[in-house]
Amino acid sequence: MTIVFAAMAISGTLGAFVASASTARHRALVSAFSSAAASGAALVLALYVIRTRHAVHLATTSVLPLGGVDLHLDPLGALFVAVTAVVAIGVAIFSIGYARQHELTRTAAAAFPIFVTSMLFVPSAWNVTTFVFVWEMMALSSLVLVLGEYRRGSSVRSAGLWYAVLTQGGAVVIVLGLAVLAQHSSGQDFTQIAQHTGLIAPWIRGVVFVLLFFAFASKAGAVPLHVWLPKAHAEAPSSVSALMSAAMVNLGIYGILRSANTLLGGGPTWWWTVVIVTGAVSAIYGSIHAATSTDLKRLLAYSTTDNIGLILIAVGTSGLLASSGHRTFAALALFAGLFHLVNHSIFKGTLFLSAGSIQYTTGTRNLDQLGGLFSRMPIASTIFAIGAVAISALPPLGGFVSEWLLLQSLLHGLSSSTTVSVILMPLSVAALALTGGLTAAAFVKAFGVGFLGLPRSSGAAAVKEPPRMMNIGAGALGVVCVVLGAAPMVVIGSLNGAVQAAQSGQLSGVTSRGVALAIRGAHGAFEPTFIALALVAALSMVGALRWALTRRVTPRRSPAWMCGREVQNSRMTYTATSFAEPLQRVFDDVVQPSRDIDVSHRSESRYFVDSVVFGSQDKDVFEGLAFRPLIRLVRETARRSRVIQNGSIHRYLSYGLVALVVILLVAR
Amino acid sequence: MRSDSLSAALLALTSGLVLLGAAVALWRRTARGIVQALRVQGFALAGTAVILGVQLHVALLLVTGALLIVVKAFFIPFLLRRLVRLDPTGGESDPVVNVPASLVAAVLLTLAAFVATRPLVQVIHGVPITLAPFGFATVLIGFFVLVARRRAVSQMVGLLLIDNGIGLVALLLTTGVPLLVELGGTLDVLLVVVVLRVLATRMHAELGDLDLDALRELHD
Repeated sequence: MTIVFAAMAISGTLGAFVASASTARHRALVSAFSSAAASGAALVLALYVIRTRHAVHLATTSVLPLGGVDLHLDPLGALFVAVTAVVAIGVAIFSIGYARQHELTRTAAAAFPIFVTSMLFVPSAWNVTTFVFVWEMMALSSLVLVLGEYRRGSSVRSAGLWYAVLTQGGAVVIVLGLAVLAQHSSGQDFTQIAQHTGLIAPWIRGVVFVLLFFAFASKAGAVPLHVWLPKAHAEAPSSVSALMSAAMVNLGIYGILRSANTLLGGGPTWWWTVVIVTGAVSAIYGSIHAATSTDLKRLLAYSTTDNIGLILIAVGTSGLLASSGHRTFAALALFAGLFHLVNHSIFKGTLFLSAGSIQYTTGTRNLDQLGGLFSRMPIASTIFAIGAVAISALPPLGGFVSEWLLLQSLLHGLSSSTTVSVILMPLSVAALALTGGLTAAAFVKAFGVGFLGLPRSSGAAAVKEPPRMMNIGAGALGVVCVVLGAAPMVVIGSLNGAVQAAQSGQLSGVTSRGVALAIRGAHGAFEPTFIALALVAALSMVGALRWALTRRVTPRRSPAWMCGREVQNSRMTYTATSFAEPLQRVFDDVVQPSRDIDVSHRSESRYFVDSVVFGSQDKDVFEGLAFRPLIRLVRETARRSRVIQNGSIHRYLSYGLVALVVILLVAR
Repeated sequence: MRSDSLSAALLALTSGLVLLGAAVALWRRTARGIVQALRVQGFALAGTAVILGVQLHVALLLVTGALLIVVKAFFIPFLLRRLVRLDPTGGESDPVVNVPASLVAAVLLTLAAFVATRPLVQVIHGVPITLAPFGFATVLIGFFVLVARRRAVSQMVGLLLIDNGIGLVALLLTTGVPLLVELGGTLDVLLVVVVLRVLATRMHAELGDLDLDALRELHD
C-alpha cells in the first residue's frame, strides 16, 4: 500500500504543474481533477488502514534532507485523512463550477492541489522534519489561496496578513516544541520520541504541552488565537474557506491529540483543565458571534470556532478521565469528540459550499440583502437547509448524534468525582447547552432571513440555480451528512480504531448492536436510525393525512390577513440585524457592537429626512484585548529602530566600514 | 644581494607611496588635489609591479606595470578631471568628518590594518609580504573616504583607492597575478568609473550639484 503515498504526492504536484501551465479554460478542471485524484488515493489508503487496523509505513532518506521522509499512517491519522479526502472531493467538484465566474489564476490553480495534498500528508508524517515540511506546505499554500481574490479590496489583504502572522507564529512554536522533544530523545522519529518522553522532567513536558497545544489550537481556531479565522474564512474564495474550515482546522485537533497522547503519553490534570476551559470559552464565544453576525461566511467561520470548542471539550474530558483512571468513559468522550469532528467537517463543508453558491448567484454574502432564495433556487437552498439542521444538532442528522454522545460522556464523567471534574463537567454541560441554543438561533436567522420571506435586493430577486457542478459538489457532502445521521454505524469502526490508536488502549467508546449504538459501562443504547425512520414516518403520515383530507374538495385560494396593511414589502420584515439585535444587547460586553446611524436631510429643510442609514459592526474583543497592544508594540519597535536607517548614504557606508574593521580584528 | 636589498627598499618606497596617496586624498580639500593624489598612487602601484617584475625576472609584470600606468595614472585621472571641470567650485568644503579628525581616523585604520594582517605576515616569509599591511590600510582608508566625503568625485576616488589597495595586496602576495586577471580587474574598474561618470553628469544636470546629500531627498 505504500505505493499509494507516492501516487498521492505525484498526483498533487503534477496537477499543480499542469494546472499552472494550462489555459484558463482547463486550469480549474486540471486543478480539481488532480486534487480529487490525490484525495481518492488517500481515501483508499485510509480505508485500508481502518479496516486492517495495521499502520502503513514508508521511510526514505532520498527526498528530504535532515532525517528524510518518514510516513506512518495509523488508524488515528487514517480517520483524519479519510475526512479530509471526502471533503476535498466535494470541494473539488464544486470548484469546477465556481471557476466559471471567478476565473482561477495560475497561482491559485497550482496552490489548490498542493494544499489538498499537503493536508492529506499531515496525519501520516512520522518524524519532525516531515511533519514540519508538510505542515508548512499546507500553511503557505492555504495563505496563497486566501489571497486568491486580493484584487477585491484591502480587507482580503488584511485577512491574509492576519492569517500569515498567526499561522507562521504557530509554526515557529510547533518547531520549537517538537525540537525540544527531539533533543530529549536521541532521534526525531515519533516512535523514538514517544519512548523517551517518560524520562523528561515534568515541568519541561508541561511547557512543551502548553507550547504545542496553543500552536495547534491557533490552527484549529480556538479562542484566543482564532482572530485570523473569521477574517480569512470570510474573504477567501468559498471553495478554499470550505477546505480550511472543514479540513484544515481538524488538523489542529490532530496535532493536539498526536502530541499530547502519542508523543507526550498523556499528562496530569491541569493540562486537560486548560484544554476544557479553552474549549468551553471557544464554544460560547464562537456561538455568540455566530448568532449576531450578518455576514453569512463570517457566521459560518465563528461557528467553526464554536464547534472546535466542543471538540476540545471532548478531548479535554477524555484526557481528564483517563488521567484519573476512568478509561471507559475517557474512550467514550474521545469517541464523541472525534465523531463531532467528522460531522462538523461534513456539515461545515456543505454550508460553506452553499454559502459559495449564494455568493456566486447573488453577488453578496450579507444576509440583510438576501431573502426569498428558497423559491428561486430550491436545490441549493435544500442543501443549505440540510447543513443547517445538522449543525443545529437536530435529529435525524449527524450533529445530533455526536452532541448527544458528548453530553452522555460529560454526564457519565461526573461519576469520576475528582474535584476538578466535579467543577468542570457541569460547567461544560452548561456551555454545551448554551452553545446549542445559540447555534440554533444563528441558523434559524441564516435560513429564515436568507432563504425565506421576500428578497431584499435586486440581486436576491433575480437569482437562479448555480451551475450544476456546484450543486453536485455541495449536495454530495449533504448526502454524507444525512448518512452520518441516519446510519452512524458505518463510521463506528473507524472512530473506535482512532480512539484506540490515540489512547493506545483496547477500549472502544461505543459499540454497535445492529442499528443501536451502545455505550460501554453504562446502561443505555441509542438508535439514531429509528429516530430518523420515525421522523420520516411522521412526515409521510402528515402528508398522507393532508392528501386524504383535501382529495375530495377543491382548494380555495385567498390572500392572507395582513394586519390591515395594503402591501407587504421587504422593508417591513425582519432583517438579520434586527433578528440578532436582542442577542446583541444581551451579549453587549462580548460582541461590543459599534452602531452607526447616519441621517441625511433634504437640502431644502432640515425637518425633512431624506434617508437614514443604520450600520452595526461587531468587534472581536480578543483582537482588541490581546492583539492590538501587540501590534502597537511591534510598530513602536519598528519606528524606533528606523533611527539606524535614516537614508543617509554615508551612514550606511560607515556601518559597512565598522563591520569590516570589526570582522578583520575579531577573525584574525 | 645588494640588488635584493635595493629592490626591497624600492618596494617599500612604492608601497608607502600608495598608502601616502590615500592619506593625501583624505587631506586635500580641492577636487583637483584629490585626483592628483590618485594619480600619484597609480604611478606608485605601477612602480611596484615593475620593480617586482625586474626582481623576479617576470616579463608579464612589466606589461602589467605598463597597463597600470596607462589606466590608473593617466586615463582614469583624465576622466575624473573632466568631471571636475564640470563643477569647478566643488571641493570638499564641508566634509562629513573634518580633515584633522579624518587623518586621526586614517592613523587608527592603518594600525588596525597592521594588527589584522599580523597572522599573514608571520606565516609567510619574504620581503613583499611584510608590505601587505600597506595595501590593507589603503583599502580601509578608501572605505573611510566613502564614508567621510560628500562629493561625487571623492566617492569615485574612494572606490578607486579600495581597488588600488586590493591591487597592491594582490601584487605583493602572489608576486604578480596572471595578466588576464589583472587585465579583467583593470577593465572592470575602468567601466565602473565610466558608468559613475555618466551618473554623476546626470546628477549634475538634474540637481545642479554633485553633493551626495542632495540624493537624500529622493527617499522622503
